[in-house]
Amino acid sequence: MPSVSDSLTRPADPAAPVASPAAAPDGRQRLGRLLSGAALLALAVAVLSFPAWAPNPYVLSAGVVVLNYAVLSTSWNFVGGFTGYISLGHGALAGLGGYATGLLVVRAGLPSFVALAVAGLLVAAFAVPVGYAALRVRGASFVIVSIALVLILLLVFQSWASVTGGSRGLVVPRPFPDLLRPEHHRVFYYLFAVLLGVALLVWWLIDRSRFGLGLKAIREDEDKAESLGTPTFGYKLVVFVVSAGFTGLAGGLYALWFGDLDPVFQFSILTGAYLVLMALLGGVRHLFGPVVGALVVGVALEYFKVEFGDTQLHLVATGVLLALVVLFMPDGVLPALGGLRDRYLRPAQASIREVTAAELWARRAAESGSTSTVTGPAPTDPAGSGPAASGGVERATADPDAPEHVAAEPGAPTTEPEAR
Amino acid sequence: MPSGALLLQSVVLGLLLGGLYALLAAGLTLYFGILRVVMIAHSAFLILAAYLAWWSHTRLGVDPLLSLVVSVPLFFCIGVGLQRLLLARLRPATLTMMSVLLTFAIAVLIEGLLGYAFTGTQRRIQLGYGAASIGFFGARIAVVKLIAFGLAAVALLTLYLLLKKTTFGWALRATIQHRDAARLVGIDTDRVAGFGFGIGLATAAVGGTALSLDTTIYPSLHWHWIGPLMAIIVVGGLGSVPGAAAAAMLLGLLQSLLQIPMGTTWAQTVFYLALFATLAFRPQGFFGGRLAQRF
Repeated sequence: MPSVSDSLTRPADPAAPVASPAAAPDGRQRLGRLLSGAALLALAVAVLSFPAWAPNPYVLSAGVVVLNYAVLSTSWNFVGGFTGYISLGHGALAGLGGYATGLLVVRAGLPSFVALAVAGLLVAAFAVPVGYAALRVRGASFVIVSIALVLILLLVFQSWASVTGGSRGLVVPRPFPDLLRPEHHRVFYYLFAVLLGVALLVWWLIDRSRFGLGLKAIREDEDKAESLGTPTFGYKLVVFVVSAGFTGLAGGLYALWFGDLDPVFQFSILTGAYLVLMALLGGVRHLFGPVVGALVVGVALEYFKVEFGDTQLHLVATGVLLALVVLFMPDGVLPALGGLRDRYLRPAQASIREVTAAELWARRAAESGSTSTVTGPAPTDPAGSGPAASGGVERATADPDAPEHVAAEPGAPTTEPEAR
Repeated sequence: MPSGALLLQSVVLGLLLGGLYALLAAGLTLYFGILRVVMIAHSAFLILAAYLAWWSHTRLGVDPLLSLVVSVPLFFCIGVGLQRLLLARLRPATLTMMSVLLTFAIAVLIEGLLGYAFTGTQRRIQLGYGAASIGFFGARIAVVKLIAFGLAAVALLTLYLLLKKTTFGWALRATIQHRDAARLVGIDTDRVAGFGFGIGLATAAVGGTALSLDTTIYPSLHWHWIGPLMAIIVVGGLGSVPGAAAAAMLLGLLQSLLQIPMGTTWAQTVFYLALFATLAFRPQGFFGGRLAQRF
């Protein structure tokens, strides 16, 4: 199951009920937290100082593209990470934001950044009926709607040439006409960085809130969440709308930066797939997962564009990478790194679920230092589950006087098989 | 007001197109029924089969229909392998979502490889009988479209007989209905699921060959097929083969008729409108069984 509790991979998160050892915080744990903080600080410094050491304007513009991907992927992660619903249509929402911004500037004559804000709101409003249709039923229908969204928007924006410019595209006037190109890249780099910061902040806030807890409950087991009183449909809809709003803003900012919109690229199903790939690669349950994924995939995409130009090899590479991530690393690299850190910097603390009855019994025997080691299971064991009787894999959660690692984990997964 | 002959022509063409949709949607429905897998790569395999037919015609000089001899068994084996080697590795809890991504990755991979091998150039099979047509009460029906429909109809009928009359079909339907119960009565559900997947992919081989007869193909064409097919299986009720077939005929007919006033591009929107209307008002589909209720 994917649902090893979040508290394992994100120990600094106060919202998740962490099974903390009763012992005083140990030095290695503090070191681990310090390392996380240092990594975070280094990341922030690296991101913010990038324009200063970017060797040429092309690299800077590539940086803007990667940041754009990071914002989009983080926006995607509001739905994908919290609720587990995978949308392949977020590329279309970004395209819609771009076109809305462009059309508001060109046709309605709004100032650029007013148009951007209005476009974000419009995309969020557009997401309400879409989400209503897509989220009423579980799973597969949502994906189908998200794909259909891309295809139908591409159709409309290509065919409705009198308004959208059709296949000839739409030219969006620059918001700062007197800036030189490198300066323009620099300004937009920081604008994207600010948007990324806001998106991350909102994600973090939701993650810590009761709302976020409800969303994660939906991800783990929607039936149980519903029976416990979570308004599942409302929660899913709200988070989808928030996600769409941020996606629309990112798309609109891209339109203002790039200045030229082509429906084929704005409403490409591939964009949506890139966003999913980035988030999955980085780790959907992690605040910075999509950012890390965007860095890796975004740089790789630029590299492929430079090296192989117009060939279809980038499709092959995307397909292979996506398949590998889905098959072998569906939790992403950040949890893997976190696991590595925990292995060296933390005491062996984990959910009781990972301790077998046999191990528990051996540990207790060692603690008491008694001679009961020769007599099989301790007589005080109320479950009566000897390692031999249960094949040694009996889970010890039923044991009332298990050590301090036993923590009630609301919303934690059960081991019963999912209904298929 | 369009003339009667034009209307009749549209109806006939719509039904012929609907037959092809029905066959392909039946394949998608099989995957969904067996494993709750939304198989995005179905239409990519469709285009792959069309390319095989085109390749065998232009390079080997044989009739595109003969490529079926190779492509159907080949696709069956690919389907079995796909299910047993790749999809079976995914965790059951996230199977629906992750299988979408996995099959999406396969679709992109096929598109990329086709583009790499044959370039993005549009291809078309030039057949001796390609231009022939039959007059039918003032409507002109191209012979190749009739062949394509015949192919789809035969394949669909075979599928129906296979599911209804054979022991294997019985086991397959039992697996679809209740996997655990099927296992209890001694059905090797993993094996059956693999074969079911292979049969689903074989429909793509037949459909692709039929498609190649009268359509210009290019690597990214599959995106134009997956949308309508997805809409069909949702409207028909996810998991219901007769529902998918009925929805396919209906929507194919509607698309063909709407082309008269709206033009070909806008007529495609009928699929998406039907999809959204179905999900908003009747999420279990209009012809659907109980499966769609939960998924």
